[in-house]
Amino acid sequence: MEMVVVAPPAPGKVEDLKRRFFATPLQALLSLMSLAIMAFVVWKLLDWAVFSAVFTTSGGPEACQAAAGACWSVIAARWRIILFGLYPFEEQWRSALACVAVVVMTVLSCIPAFWTGRRIALVWGAGTALYYVLMKGGVLGLSYVGEEAWGGLALTLFIFVTTCLIGFPLAVCLALLRRSELPWISRTTALIIDGVRSLPLISILFTFAIVLPFALPQWLVGDKLYRVILGSALFFSAYQAEIVRGGMQGVPAGQEEAAMALGMSYWQRISRILLPQAMRNALPATINQFVISFKETSLVVIVGFFEILASGNAAYGTGEWRFAYVEVYAFIAFIYFIFVFSLSRYGAFLERRMSVGER
Amino acid sequence: MNPGKASGPAVRIENLDKHYGTFHALRKVNLSVGRGERIVVCGPSGSGKSTVIRCINRLEQHDGGRITVLGTELNDDVANIDGIRREVGMVFQHFNLFPHMTVLENCMIAPMIVRKLPRTEAETTARRYLEKVRIPEQAMKFPGQLSGGQQQRVAIARALCMQPQIMLFDEPTSALDPEMISEVLDVMVTLASDGMTMICVTHEMGFARRVADRVVFMDGGEIVEEAPPEEFFTSCRNDRTRQFLSQILGH
Repeated sequence: MEMVVVAPPAPGKVEDLKRRFFATPLQALLSLMSLAIMAFVVWKLLDWAVFSAVFTTSGGPEACQAAAGACWSVIAARWRIILFGLYPFEEQWRSALACVAVVVMTVLSCIPAFWTGRRIALVWGAGTALYYVLMKGGVLGLSYVGEEAWGGLALTLFIFVTTCLIGFPLAVCLALLRRSELPWISRTTALIIDGVRSLPLISILFTFAIVLPFALPQWLVGDKLYRVILGSALFFSAYQAEIVRGGMQGVPAGQEEAAMALGMSYWQRISRILLPQAMRNALPATINQFVISFKETSLVVIVGFFEILASGNAAYGTGEWRFAYVEVYAFIAFIYFIFVFSLSRYGAFLERRMSVGER
Repeated sequence: MNPGKASGPAVRIENLDKHYGTFHALRKVNLSVGRGERIVVCGPSGSGKSTVIRCINRLEQHDGGRITVLGTELNDDVANIDGIRREVGMVFQHFNLFPHMTVLENCMIAPMIVRKLPRTEAETTARRYLEKVRIPEQAMKFPGQLSGGQQQRVAIARALCMQPQIMLFDEPTSALDPEMISEVLDVMVTLASDGMTMICVTHEMGFARRVADRVVFMDGGEIVEEAPPEEFFTSCRNDRTRQFLSQILGH
């Protein structure tokens, strides 16, 4: 006998809302109250941020302070300090282009078509070189600007990207060393990883920026900026190494045996079989680590760098705009949000893409 | 080193010894497999049958005795190990296909990166062997989209794409649902009739009867009995063999 399945009529949106939020009088009351509170908060926020806000610098700080809403004039007046820090005013177009170079480099290296060794090396090499030449100058008719004058968004992006570029390969190396069959290698690596992880980032940055120059020979010291980046990359790699190792443990032992039985060498097994699967397992935690690292770049302020948050402090801290700190921080939060949110969405895209093989 | 050019048996195992910690897994195992010979190894679980064939391609390291594969002795020399692995294919109980690659890529990767075959040639070979194991239409799918029987046939094709001289089968049908066992065995029978040297750890006694030149029975890390299938099934001499056979053929 043939079965005839009749689907129950799909409930409409209104019925669904009714059932969920207005089933009993008490529930209806609570729903309405919550709605009113939400509407009030949203209205207040919009009023502050848009309707009663001042957007132009024409009236100066005084008119702005008198207004009931937000004073976005401070951004209009001071955005250059926030984005470029102490970088010489006339040369700030270079800093802007350098930001673009880093963003383009990051976006390109996120596109699967660029995931071959040569292309990724080309993108990263060209991107960082372009950033360095634009920021530092001294060649091609660009005036020289020392690292101590770099700042704002340009510095934040540079520290983040270089931390990841150095820290990620280092993390993979540490993870591989930690699973070495030779106990003295795996134990030493474990000691290094646990040692770095048990120190606060601030103390590592401080050590690399201030203490290391006393311990190193003069020719090895380099600029403080690069020492700080190395310190932050080391910190990143200690955490990321454990994430990668966790991903590797999720790959069944049979995978490596199958690769061995096919005659693949150690590096072929690692690069073609183990790491692709391990990275897929480790992806959510990896994106998490990237997000944390992006936000932790703000700690370099303690060794004297004006990254975007510190530049924001400087933007309102000089007298006339002192009252407008909320607006400055809201603006900076928005910039952080753009970058971190893109990172998260990219992570979600990668997960979808990689899950193809798992069905 | 160039395995395969030398004459003599395909595999010669002499006085093989192997411990896992204090557990004595293999005790003085001796086995010689001629070229083109088909051997079925059976025995109760923990008898060391898988360990023996895993020693042949050095997935396990032996700690006593000698193993000579295609004229090359297995020792710590990495070049020897890699050379032998290129000539010895293996099929696992749990397939062990690479889940992040398509069926076709699974079959192409080793010929391309180990044998340095050009891509087009590797693809031609891969498609030919997928045809041979009767799943050419699944080439672009991922392993996770296939049934167990199909996955095991891909695993056989993947091993064959390296054009090995010896094939090792480690309980290839033990993880399969009953209705999928015959499709895998059929492929193995075809392979046997092509003259491949095969060492199969399996409890499929029908398969042993049909294709094996010799059946080897192991128990407690030793080879207890070794005979052509007819003789093995009808007039085995040893009590342990008889007991084992009555257990697996009992019903």
